[in-house]
Amino acid sequence: MLGLALRNFAARKFRAISTALAVFFGVAMVAGTLLINESVNRSFDNLFGEINAGIDVTVRDKMVVEDPFDQGPQAGFDAAVLDEISEVEGVEAAEGTIADIRISILGDDGERIGPPSGGPPHIALATGDVEDFASLTVIEGKTPSAPDEVAIDEDSAETEDFEIGDTVTITGAAGASDYTIVGITQFGSGDTSLGASLAQFTLEEAQRLTGKEGRFDEIDIAAAQGTTPEELAARVKEAVGPKFDVMTGSETASEDAGDITDDFGFLTTALLVFAGISVFVGGFLIFNTFSITVVQRTREFAMLRTLGASSRQVLGAVLAEAALIGLLASALGIAGGYGFVELVKLMFKGVGFELPVTGLRLTTQSVLVPILVGTFATIVAAMMPAVRATRVAPLEALRETGGSTETKERSSRKRTFTAGLLLVVAVVLLGLGLFVAEDEEAALSQMGGGLVLLFIAIAMLGGRFVPPIVSVIGAPIERLRGVTGLLARENAQREPQRTATTAAALMIGVALVVFVGVFASSLKASINDAIDDQLAGDLSVLNKDGFSPIPAGVGDGVAEIEGVDAVAPTVDLPVKTEETGDDLISGLEPGAASEVFNVEWVDGDDGTLSSLAQGEAIAEVGWLESNDLAIGDSVTITGPTDEELEVEIVGSVDDQVGLLVDSLAITRDSAREDLGARFDATVLMTYAEGADPAATRERVDAFLEERFPDTETRDQEEIKQDQAAQLDQLVALIYVLLGLSVIVSIFGVVNTLALTILERTRELGMLRAIGTSRSQVRRMVRYESVINSLLGTIVGTVIGLLLAIAAVQALADEGLSLSVPIALPFVVLIAAIVLGVLAAIRPARRASRLDVIESLQYE
Amino acid sequence: MSTTSGSDPSADAMTHTTSTTSPAAVRCEDLSRQYGEGEASVLAVDSVSLDFPHGQLTSIVGPSGSGKSTLMHVLAGLDRPTGGKVWVDGTQITGLSDSDLTELRRDKLGFIFQFFNLIPVLSAEENVMLPMRIAGRDTDPEWLEQLLGTVGIADRRKHRPAELSGGQQQRVAVARALISKPAVVFADEPTGNLDSTSSTHVLELLRRSVDELGRTVVIVTHDPRVASYADRVVLLVDGKVAEDTTVEGEDQVLALMRSV
Repeated sequence: MLGLALRNFAARKFRAISTALAVFFGVAMVAGTLLINESVNRSFDNLFGEINAGIDVTVRDKMVVEDPFDQGPQAGFDAAVLDEISEVEGVEAAEGTIADIRISILGDDGERIGPPSGGPPHIALATGDVEDFASLTVIEGKTPSAPDEVAIDEDSAETEDFEIGDTVTITGAAGASDYTIVGITQFGSGDTSLGASLAQFTLEEAQRLTGKEGRFDEIDIAAAQGTTPEELAARVKEAVGPKFDVMTGSETASEDAGDITDDFGFLTTALLVFAGISVFVGGFLIFNTFSITVVQRTREFAMLRTLGASSRQVLGAVLAEAALIGLLASALGIAGGYGFVELVKLMFKGVGFELPVTGLRLTTQSVLVPILVGTFATIVAAMMPAVRATRVAPLEALRETGGSTETKERSSRKRTFTAGLLLVVAVVLLGLGLFVAEDEEAALSQMGGGLVLLFIAIAMLGGRFVPPIVSVIGAPIERLRGVTGLLARENAQREPQRTATTAAALMIGVALVVFVGVFASSLKASINDAIDDQLAGDLSVLNKDGFSPIPAGVGDGVAEIEGVDAVAPTVDLPVKTEETGDDLISGLEPGAASEVFNVEWVDGDDGTLSSLAQGEAIAEVGWLESNDLAIGDSVTITGPTDEELEVEIVGSVDDQVGLLVDSLAITRDSAREDLGARFDATVLMTYAEGADPAATRERVDAFLEERFPDTETRDQEEIKQDQAAQLDQLVALIYVLLGLSVIVSIFGVVNTLALTILERTRELGMLRAIGTSRSQVRRMVRYESVINSLLGTIVGTVIGLLLAIAAVQALADEGLSLSVPIALPFVVLIAAIVLGVLAAIRPARRASRLDVIESLQYE
Repeated sequence: MSTTSGSDPSADAMTHTTSTTSPAAVRCEDLSRQYGEGEASVLAVDSVSLDFPHGQLTSIVGPSGSGKSTLMHVLAGLDRPTGGKVWVDGTQITGLSDSDLTELRRDKLGFIFQFFNLIPVLSAEENVMLPMRIAGRDTDPEWLEQLLGTVGIADRRKHRPAELSGGQQQRVAVARALISKPAVVFADEPTGNLDSTSSTHVLELLRRSVDELGRTVVIVTHDPRVASYADRVVLLVDGKVAEDTTVEGEDQVLALMRSV
């Protein structure tokens, strides 16, 4: 039977390959993702191994609050602890150092070098005295020895044309300063910094620039001979107490690498989700192709049975063919994985982010997993058709046409029942995920499962509603195009289930595209509304990257500028509370905040805010309710490095989007003094009465350019545009990945058309004999293809819309309201027509070139 | 049932007059069709010259492999000859492009197949009208009514092929072949898939379409009974015309075929 499968495979190469392509894309995405994952992990492991080489023990501030978006103070710790450590027995050498990512190295154009936003960090480092600790070597020039000297890494110097003797501006928490480049550095091993730009200063200057005078980010320790790093770490831990993280050098390396690769882990997960979608869509295609070929080969199976083949042997033959296709697709897919890596790199480059992928290496995992996924998916998808093949009775070998209508009718009723059941389960799961689930992970997995079942159920039910929908879709084509349109429509309706499954594959991609589009548009509209309603300030100061904190000195500086009235710097601080765990609170300037915000008070008024004192907090009303708290209750807030602050809730506001108050708001002073905040998220200001807005803004811009060049001013309209642009970039990335699934589904249309044409060979011969021209045959196939893709697109659009409506409804208490981009459905429809025409090219050509006589004799 | 050839108004055409005044429905001269090259080549049709005058029912008979189907395919422009020429209704068709041949099929040719080859999703009436719709022409409703009545499916016009018997399906196919009033209808083993009662119906129908509707029909068959419905029988052996004579009865045709 394996031999037979091989022969079948070889005899239908084109079909085998086009079927394999269905799986190919998904497998390529899986393989590419694993390749990226491995490369990123390896790169960071190497990098941090390098940085921590020669260091036996490190001491750092203990962080008790998760800070995934780097919004925390990152304040370092008091340098005095170094003296205690130096006295610990077994310490050969100990040295305090700075490693700060809140700096920007500016290029000649005054802008941060490297990608504009979200790129790899710029890091300020301090020159040490202990040679063993230094991971950077100077390859040109010297190490900085004066406050106005800096050494820059080789890669940055090269891309920016920095040379020894050049002046470079670098900004930090303390503002901007000019430095003379005195050295070019490189890692000892010659490894790259994975895109990070490194600026090395004298220790004192590094501390000053980063606002950490008298403080360190880390203390590096070398053990004396005879003391192991572990022993030393234990002793140091005892000496410095629980406020510090003490780790051996290798622990530090793996922890640092782990932190970063965890961030990339999100990328891996996201890419795998899209790969999964692609495999799922491919599965539909495999299922359909095998379903059709099994029917077409009814006589062949019956003949095999009359020759004595058992039904198990027939099953084996079909599944073996599926396995072969799966294996072929997977093998190709691994090669395609390299292409996917390039695509992902290109995508990220498009939004200004360089993926740290250096050198791809196949591992057992990145070979085995894709092969297993591809082969398994193919076999699973072919299972039902294979079982159907075993039900072919030997007698059918003698019949003129296969497939009795009775069993069709009965199985169709059973199918409707099963599909209905699946649909119910799918809706329940989606409902649970959207409206009930407490934690994010459960919600996402319930929604994912619900979606999978939903799509399967709709595909199964498709047979029922294909004929009426196709009648509607086909009507205009029929009216405009006459008989070819009529035949195309009739052909699409002939095997409704087949048409449904083909269209369903496309439906999945389209539904997701529409969902993402509508959801993003709703999000955009909600943010815009919130900005319109709540933001009363004339101008904001933000980091140029749009999200990083800005130095605390900005507010004070801006307040001095002529024409500026109220100035309200706002802190965003990651903290912990007993009630909610990790959370983000705001620190507001009580006096000015109500000038720049239109606060929607639920409990209290602007006076509550302006008189807000230390130990008091204002809460967002939704947050208050979901945590069963009320006005007058006390909440204990834990700061990033274990500072504790008890606050009483004295007022509540309605701020679903979280523009002003996401959870709790305390005074900015309290946030700084009691919880260690060092930076502001933004500074909002109003213009003084009678001040010329344009001139005032110009003065503010000039000041920022001079003192804080990595910040910029944005007015309300610009903030909205920035938000929209960021969201659009994300949507674009998602669309590219979903596009791969859509391509897969187009292969589905191609495959179905090709198989259907084969089935109707004799009919086509007859049509040609009675006067149908080649171009009429081509048109007929093309219209059928367009009907197929329109069907998938229209159903997909409806489902995507419904899903978006449900999701927006579920997030209504976050301030989300539905906004449908009017152009989207039309763009999608036009794309469907274009795709349908493209999918038909090859099948239509084949159909039109069929030899009339041979076709008439075809069985 | 069979009519005497003398009553046929166009029987004169049988005397192989030259086609200067009124061209034959189909004419071929020195027609050959060779398959393959060199040693393995087969000459399926070998220097055949024939005239098929208007208003006549002709059978082409012969044992299997005699080249009768190939001859029909070449005469109908479905296959290209390797030698000789074919005229349909006075137009030389050898060397015509695919689109010209398509036009020819629309204007001058009708086909009836062994497997009825109806479009399963169209009703009987729609199947009959299909050639006209494909050609983008209007169907004369009176002519349609007449045809449906003649073939006897007027009351089943809304039925789809699957709801019709084999004989009824083939009668629909006959109507479809006649709808465009073609110069000639080619029928390839039109009763090959039918029981004897249905066969008789279809053959009588073909006979009437010549006698009453004035059509020209060429039947390719290996069945002497079928061939005996024709006015004239052409016996093909090894690609050559072995006999070309007026039909006198089934026994005569049977004897003719046995003589090979």
